[in-house]
Amino acid sequence: MTKSNQTPQELYYLMVQTRTLDRVIGAHDGHWHGLEGEEATIAGIYHGLQKGDVIAPHYRGAVSAALAKGADLKTLMAGCLGRSTAYHKGRHRSDICGPPELGLIGLYAGSLGPPLGYAAGAALAAKLDGRDDIALGVFGDGTSSRGDCHEAMNMAAVLRLPMVFVCQNNQIAISTELSAGVAGSITARGASFGMPSAEVDGNDVIAVKNAMDEATARARRGDGPSLIECKSYRVAGHFYSDAEDYRDREEIERWRAKEPIARFRAYLIAEGIQTEEDLDRIDAALTEEVDTAFKMALEDPVPEAALLAPDDVYAEARP
Amino acid sequence: MTRMTFQQATVAAIADEMRADRDVFVMGEDIGRFGGPLRSNAGLFEEFGAEGRVIDTPISEGTFVGVGVGAAMYGKRPVVDLMFLEFLALVMQQFLDAGAMHYYSGGTQRVPLVVRAKFGVGPFHGHAYDHHSWLMNMPGVKIVAPSNPDDAYALMRAAIRDDNPVLFLEHMALYHAGKAEVDDDTPLSLGKASIAREGTDLSIYASALMTKRALAAAKVLAEDGISAEVVDLRTISPLDEATILTSARKTGRALVLSEAIGRGSSSNDVAALLAEQAFGDLKAPIRRLAPPNIPTPFARELEREYLPSEDRIVSAAKDLMG
Ligand SMILES: Cc1ncc(C[n+]2csc(CCOP(=O)(O)OP(=O)(O)O)c2C)c(N)n1
Repeated sequence: MTKSNQTPQELYYLMVQTRTLDRVIGAHDGHWHGLEGEEATIAGIYHGLQKGDVIAPHYRGAVSAALAKGADLKTLMAGCLGRSTAYHKGRHRSDICGPPELGLIGLYAGSLGPPLGYAAGAALAAKLDGRDDIALGVFGDGTSSRGDCHEAMNMAAVLRLPMVFVCQNNQIAISTELSAGVAGSITARGASFGMPSAEVDGNDVIAVKNAMDEATARARRGDGPSLIECKSYRVAGHFYSDAEDYRDREEIERWRAKEPIARFRAYLIAEGIQTEEDLDRIDAALTEEVDTAFKMALEDPVPEAALLAPDDVYAEARP
Repeated sequence: MTRMTFQQATVAAIADEMRADRDVFVMGEDIGRFGGPLRSNAGLFEEFGAEGRVIDTPISEGTFVGVGVGAAMYGKRPVVDLMFLEFLALVMQQFLDAGAMHYYSGGTQRVPLVVRAKFGVGPFHGHAYDHHSWLMNMPGVKIVAPSNPDDAYALMRAAIRDDNPVLFLEHMALYHAGKAEVDDDTPLSLGKASIAREGTDLSIYASALMTKRALAAAKVLAEDGISAEVVDLRTISPLDEATILTSARKTGRALVLSEAIGRGSSSNDVAALLAEQAFGDLKAPIRRLAPPNIPTPFARELEREYLPSEDRIVSAAKDLMG
């Protein structure tokens, strides 16, 4: 592998990894929030961050965000299954809460929006410390209507925080279509908060990656926040067992045909960056890796009552 | 030892912690050059503003408390000024999340955040609402309500050093109400009630302004031969159960005061604790004294009627004595 094809290969890996998680966890848990159709957006957002960067991921994609920050696959799987071998004794749900020590801010109480403020706080900490770390605040099109989202963008711009806001615009929020949830354009809101913003094709991983590179570099330089809107489509149901009787099958199929992984595969092969065999090998290795991790996690023990441990609620003074 | 008002002691505690630890910073609306309403941050901008450690924010309570949460997660010790306690409604989600983080993260994550709020009836007319009890239902959050300058100083320093989210209550009737000796060597820890006055006939449980009124009532009661012990809770969550129980077991009678309306008040937890664990030692039913279950009134006359007064504390205590 040469240096020049390292990034594309990593992006491909993240995309297929996301797809594989969907297949494995979704089959087991009907409440898994699937990512089919949004794999390019996810890989492009989370690829290539540095250790001290902090992410408040959108809940749809939070496991991929944790993996991109170096979290362990099998331990996360255990957390999706409520096993005691999960991160942090399995006390939270890993599908939407990654390990904070790796820079993941979870959706602890389940309310969309406030984590964007927490990410702004992590960005402020980096700025006060003089570090070149940044924070990402990622949200869905539905979440973009939360006051917290507007407040966080305004705050980050006023305080000139090293932050990147990213909207995973999959054009639907549960059953609420984009036009019923969002007035005007999300991208245009960037300008109203005085920050650069860009709309990119969320099914084009290279476009997402390039926009992210520009925004993160700007944040690291101390030039303040930016907003990127990745336009894609939620081919998956809201959750895996969603009956989806609120939308048009044909529309789903139209978008399924624009499938980002096949598109990127074709590009990598056509440009001679990777061979078909290389990519097949990645696919097979990932299937094996994810299946094995999931199987191991399934066999892990469930927590016992003693793990309720009410004494752990408050942090004790450090010795 | 210096003589200070409650306000001066609180700001002095923050300034001392800012000098001791560069990770401490303050944030809120109009706390810079303006110094905060009622001088709640007076002098901090002049000393620390140039270092970027006094941060004025837009009117975005949920988000600036959220910024405090995120900064606390990643190495800072923010002291965030919410201005007035009625805005607590705007930051409930942030407290809920922050309070859960240590537990959910299996002890990995600490959130050393102080949120200050002014409240209570007083010379500053308006913003009197006492809504702190909402947070009683949130695991992992601490609530502190000092009743005098010395405690305000020690408890603010302790709150800043504490590794949990803390709501620090600053009563506006106490804020500029005279100076008292402030001892900067008082040991720093949250979670300890104090015996503000020793007595043998009944225990009065209170915090903030109610402690001041309880102490005044205890003097009147003493003239009538009734010896009242005043337990100043200081930390309302988690409660200092040992001190609360020891006092009731000694006196055999309990009068629990609340500035918040009775329904859902934090003081009910004191009553429940006594009922569960000291029932056998009680000579009379537990008595609660709280405002009626109405929104805080505005007119001074109504406000006076609304709150437990010195007189009403005295007569409730006499009732209890039977
Ligand atoms: C504050 C809040 N309101 C409502 C919900 C319930 N809810 C969960 S997911 C969701 C849809 C979110 O839509 P969007 O942000 O577009 O994300 P997507 O599901 O499309 O990825 C809603 C309404 C919530 N979790 N938090």
